[in-house]
Amino acid sequence: MLKRLLHVTPSGAAGLAFAAFAFLVIPALAGKLWLSVFISTGCFVLAIAGVAFMYARLGMVSLTQVGLMGVGGWVMLRLNHAAGFPFEVNLVIAALVTMVCGWILALPAMRMRGLYLALVTLMAAGGLEIIFATYQFPNGGEGFWGVKTGSADAFRRPWLAQTPEAYLRYVVAFVTLGFLFIEAHRRLWPGRAWALIRRSEAAAMAAGVNVTFYKMWAFGIAGVLAGAAGGLLAGSLGLLDDATFRASESVMLFALAVVGGARYWLGAVIAATLYRILPALLNNWGVDADLAFVIFGAGLLHAVITAPNGIAGQIMDLAAGLRARFGKGGKP
Amino acid sequence: MIEVDKVSVRFGGVVALAEVSAVFTQPVSGIIGPNGAGKTTLMNVFSGFVSAAAGRVVCDGEDLLRLSPHRRAHWGLRRSFQKEEIANDLTVFDNVLVQTDRGFTGASARRAEVARLIELVGLADRADTFGRDLSGFERRLADVAKCMAGNPRLVMFDEPAGGLSIDETHTLGTLIKRIHAETGAQTLVIDHDVELISEICDETLVLDFGRRIAFGPTAEVLADPAVKAAYLGTEEV
Ligand SMILES: Nc1ncnc2c1ncn2[C@@H]1O[C@H](COP(=O)(O)OP(=O)(O)OP(=O)(O)O)[C@@H](O)[C@H]1O
Ligand SMILES: [Mg+2]
Repeated sequence: MLKRLLHVTPSGAAGLAFAAFAFLVIPALAGKLWLSVFISTGCFVLAIAGVAFMYARLGMVSLTQVGLMGVGGWVMLRLNHAAGFPFEVNLVIAALVTMVCGWILALPAMRMRGLYLALVTLMAAGGLEIIFATYQFPNGGEGFWGVKTGSADAFRRPWLAQTPEAYLRYVVAFVTLGFLFIEAHRRLWPGRAWALIRRSEAAAMAAGVNVTFYKMWAFGIAGVLAGAAGGLLAGSLGLLDDATFRASESVMLFALAVVGGARYWLGAVIAATLYRILPALLNNWGVDADLAFVIFGAGLLHAVITAPNGIAGQIMDLAAGLRARFGKGGKP
Repeated sequence: MIEVDKVSVRFGGVVALAEVSAVFTQPVSGIIGPNGAGKTTLMNVFSGFVSAAAGRVVCDGEDLLRLSPHRRAHWGLRRSFQKEEIANDLTVFDNVLVQTDRGFTGASARRAEVARLIELVGLADRADTFGRDLSGFERRLADVAKCMAGNPRLVMFDEPAGGLSIDETHTLGTLIKRIHAETGAQTLVIDHDVELISEICDETLVLDFGRRIAFGPTAEVLADPAVKAAYLGTEEV
């Protein structure tokens, strides 16, 4: 059983290699501006991992992931300015609070199927958008909402990661842990229950799976990842802007997760790259960043028409094909 | 012993089951009837996917209808569906293991049991194959192994032989007959294949338009003029 849990697939090995690359090489090469782009990309990879796994493994559509990131970020900022806990303690609290908020928002839809969760989460995202726009994010002010005019108070970065380079490494480490966390679940009994729920809820119930419980579990994981991602994003910038967490961003994030390939780690990386790095690149080249939307649309069409497992699925198939050919050729 | 006591089910205006009663006492019992007779609906009442307007289902002294669907599975209710439900993303082994997933204890014993059942149904060399790579018959066999896992008390099959060849049906019938000896569970089989039913079922319930039209030893039931009429009446349709 332990052997199965620790088994490294080719895709997993590639993922770990990429994580090592992102940990060791990228921070050393990137300039100051790109560091902050990569940090935020990393945060979104973590959030996308949450929605993507829910969609790929259970067929659940959540359209509030970016809104939940906002919740995590809000809690993170609030705790930073209100209490003297270490960064990591704040991050854990932010992730857990976000998980509970996610549960409360999605609870009405947990017993229903398919589209209802998508609709309920979309409404939740709309509600969060309004709250964030009305109250803004804490920046060291007084009272519960903690907002003041003028410049924000200082944000305490983690002890381990005071510089932007170190913070990028810190984020990469968390993202890797997030993927391993999901994968461990997938290989144990929750993953079996999820696979059956995806096949059919009736079949899952007939096999003794408490369908509502395991859906809640999955949604909880997505919430934890969103909360941690929002907390890490807050830690990178020291303050947050409500425009980042609009409902439309959640919808976009989900669509990109499908385009990237929801079943694979690479899909989340591709999705976050399209979401964060592409607009920055376009900006760099002096092209209107709205062009990104055209590219997103083309990607979505591509996914819908030719690539049910997204771009990552195509790449993985290609890699598997090459491996098969290489393996055959290599043997005498 | 399974007691079905005046179970009625209505879907809007349609009476799917009308005060159906039967007491199944044999290791393997059959339920037959023309299309739309209410066979699957009766099974869904057992599983909890359809709630009965009236009536009771008592198995070994347990009032099944009071339990939620997944608790019925914990109690020992197993079923297969008209279209088998094998998860494509899981191996045969994991598909069967799901049925035993409860609590943290005895993992190695559960795995040994699962391996034994997979061998029993003849899929030993396919244990690590993913559901999506199985043939229709293999999926059916995996389904049988799943129904036998985790101390079942009542196993129900909904048209298990649908789409199978004669040889495959025979193999499946032999397996279903072994369930009682292997696990102690009672088995209910729905099928249109009267040959299969008369081969493996000691007693049979016949439904037509939601009513019980016959119940008793299979040979007697199949010779009943009312049953013949019900089948002849729909044969041409
Ligand atoms: N969920 C439902 N809603 C409305 N009517 C239903 C529902 N399920 C079944 N029925 C109706 O109840 C009746 C019995 O259906 P059931 O599926 O139990 O028949 P069956 O004996 O299993 O038939 P078959 O041999 O075709 O599988 C039919 O008239 C069917 O149309
Ligand atoms: Mg039926």
